[in-house]
Amino acid sequence: MINRILAVIRREYLERVRTKAFWISTILVPIFLGAVMIVPAWLAARGGGEFSVAVLDLSGRFFDPVRDEVGRLLSGDDEKLSVTLHSQEPGPSVEATRERLKNEVQNKVFDGLLVIPSTMPDEGQPEYVAPNVAAFKLLTVIERSVNNVMVADRLTGAGLDPEAVRELTRRVGLNTLKLGKDGEETSDQGQTFMLAYVFMMIIYMTVLMYGIYVMRGVLEEKSSHVIEVIVSTVKPFELMLGKILGIGAVGLTQFLIWSLLMAAISAPGAVAALGISGMELPAVPAQLLFFFVVYFVLGFLLYGTLYAGIGAAFDTEQEAQNFQGVVTMFLIVPLVLMMQILNQPDGTLSVVLSLIPFFTPMLMFLRMTLTQVPPIQLAASVVLMLGAILFCTWIVAKIYRVGILMHGSKPKFKDLVRWVREA
Amino acid sequence: MDAILDIQNLCKRYGDHVAVDDISFSVPRGSVYGLLGPNGAGKTTTIRMVMRIIASDSGTVLLDGQPVNDDRRRIIGYLPEERGLYKKMKVLEHLVYLGTIRGIRPGEAKKRAAAWLERFDLAEWATNKVEDLSKGMQQKIQFIGTILHRPPLLILDEPFSGLDPINTRALKDLLQEMASEGVTIVLSTHVLPQVDELCSDICLINRARPILLGSLESIREDYGGNTWRVQSDLPENELAALPGVTSVHPLGDERLLELEDGSEARDLLRALVDRSQVESFTRFKPDLENIFIRAVEEDKAHD
Repeated sequence: MINRILAVIRREYLERVRTKAFWISTILVPIFLGAVMIVPAWLAARGGGEFSVAVLDLSGRFFDPVRDEVGRLLSGDDEKLSVTLHSQEPGPSVEATRERLKNEVQNKVFDGLLVIPSTMPDEGQPEYVAPNVAAFKLLTVIERSVNNVMVADRLTGAGLDPEAVRELTRRVGLNTLKLGKDGEETSDQGQTFMLAYVFMMIIYMTVLMYGIYVMRGVLEEKSSHVIEVIVSTVKPFELMLGKILGIGAVGLTQFLIWSLLMAAISAPGAVAALGISGMELPAVPAQLLFFFVVYFVLGFLLYGTLYAGIGAAFDTEQEAQNFQGVVTMFLIVPLVLMMQILNQPDGTLSVVLSLIPFFTPMLMFLRMTLTQVPPIQLAASVVLMLGAILFCTWIVAKIYRVGILMHGSKPKFKDLVRWVREA
Repeated sequence: MDAILDIQNLCKRYGDHVAVDDISFSVPRGSVYGLLGPNGAGKTTTIRMVMRIIASDSGTVLLDGQPVNDDRRRIIGYLPEERGLYKKMKVLEHLVYLGTIRGIRPGEAKKRAAAWLERFDLAEWATNKVEDLSKGMQQKIQFIGTILHRPPLLILDEPFSGLDPINTRALKDLLQEMASEGVTIVLSTHVLPQVDELCSDICLINRARPILLGSLESIREDYGGNTWRVQSDLPENELAALPGVTSVHPLGDERLLELEDGSEARDLLRALVDRSQVESFTRFKPDLENIFIRAVEEDKAHD
């Protein structure tokens, strides 16, 4: 019996690992995730460069303070951004000068044009003209400089000392610390959560994807009529088990490849080689990784079994759609409930939801990243899931045994109930 | 009689429909056994119960004298009516897979599969995907998969369906060769001429019940007995009135005249020649189709 199940597992595994689709998804997912995580950091770090900006100061008194403020803001900056301001005379016609300077920006003599109206700081707004207002960092520096200078001018006009005011209104900020198991505190600016979120989405996507592989595999055996040859030798239950385990092993292989890729990227030197200085990949706690695998395996076994039953009951994917939708909905509910968990990871509702086997793989995993889940709850979630898997396997095995040899009429729910009763 | 397969009182009903109604028959070891009958008679359901693909409502299947179970059934080489292969698998790997789930080691399965591919002129396709092969070639692969584990008993459900005359001939030759090596073969079919020359024993199933079974030779004798094929210009009612004639059956242009036991054929011939122009007069050796049609008619008459 073991030999036969192994033969089935081996076939299911090799036939899938050898497909192009497997390798494409194995390579595309990390590229996609990498793009989501790395590109913003890379773009943010990429604000350096030399810029020259023309300043048309119609008030006649703000050029120097703005230039000094720009210098002050950039002095603490290590990112190679340098901005040179060029004061421009208004000339006889302000409009004509503005037009001329605009043309010069167009012709790349300057990277931008800052116009400070004569009514400042009491009224009006300075304007900034540039071909590329998306040069985010440059824009931020200019806006903050002009803003600081204008506020300081108003404060002085009201008889206050700008230095003293700046000192008094300094932001306090909030230092967020996560309390670990042993009482140690770790500084966390949300990387852990981002990572948990990404991991949760991976659980969702892979359980769904591999579950549907199981369904398609069963449907294929029915539609190609190979099923009768196989079940004349292999028991339907052995075939179902072998198929689910083989496809699950494909999923674990994919995770293994991804882990190796991640380890390679996180290795010292690799980050520097990629030219992403200043960007840190958050470290993944080993415990989290362990439960990631545990919950993927349990979730896949549960949903894979259900999808196997659906595949056995129907002849085509179209016919299976309604039932497939119901099962997929169970998988989507946790995504909807995520906000509840985020707000109150230890609330009663969150605990209960995360213990429902259909939601456990995603919600319990999410809670683990947010809070200290008591070990008893983790143990309970695993036990409950194993129970649910055994129960579903028991039911589905009966549907499977009858369904794989059925062709023609599309069964209704009551037919499935009858199959379970009679089998 | 040494029976390799002994089926006793097998029954199966689906709701109000009786698919198999108390079927019993024994397959002698070394025989080529024809399981015959029209479509829907219950042949495939019977075979599926033998293979334990579906459960019987009642009845026993003995294999080598012992009740068949999930392990013992693997000595049977089974070719189902609904054939199929994994389309994306490579030919040789597919055969090795079919071999390993029947208990052969992968290395041995590979060796045997390669030899069979060679024999069927399919060696160059070994690394192609199944879907690249023509229908006829896929049938051959399917058959190799059925016999790869050298089963002492083959059960083939409509083995010739979908085969062209050349491949039908080739399969018949192969089956005859295997039979001469001692393999017991059960052939299920509704196309009787295909198996006439192969079968040593038959079981005729009609409307879920066996209506005729035994060795083909004795059945032929029973049905052929004192029966004569006559072609003459005499109408049927006058033929029936001839001395010793008990019944008249039409057979194409000819008539089949059954004589009562002890009645002499030459008396009949003399009477015929006296009254009509006799074109031909021969002893009747019924083929399976004749036997089948008569048995089914008699079965109908029983109701």
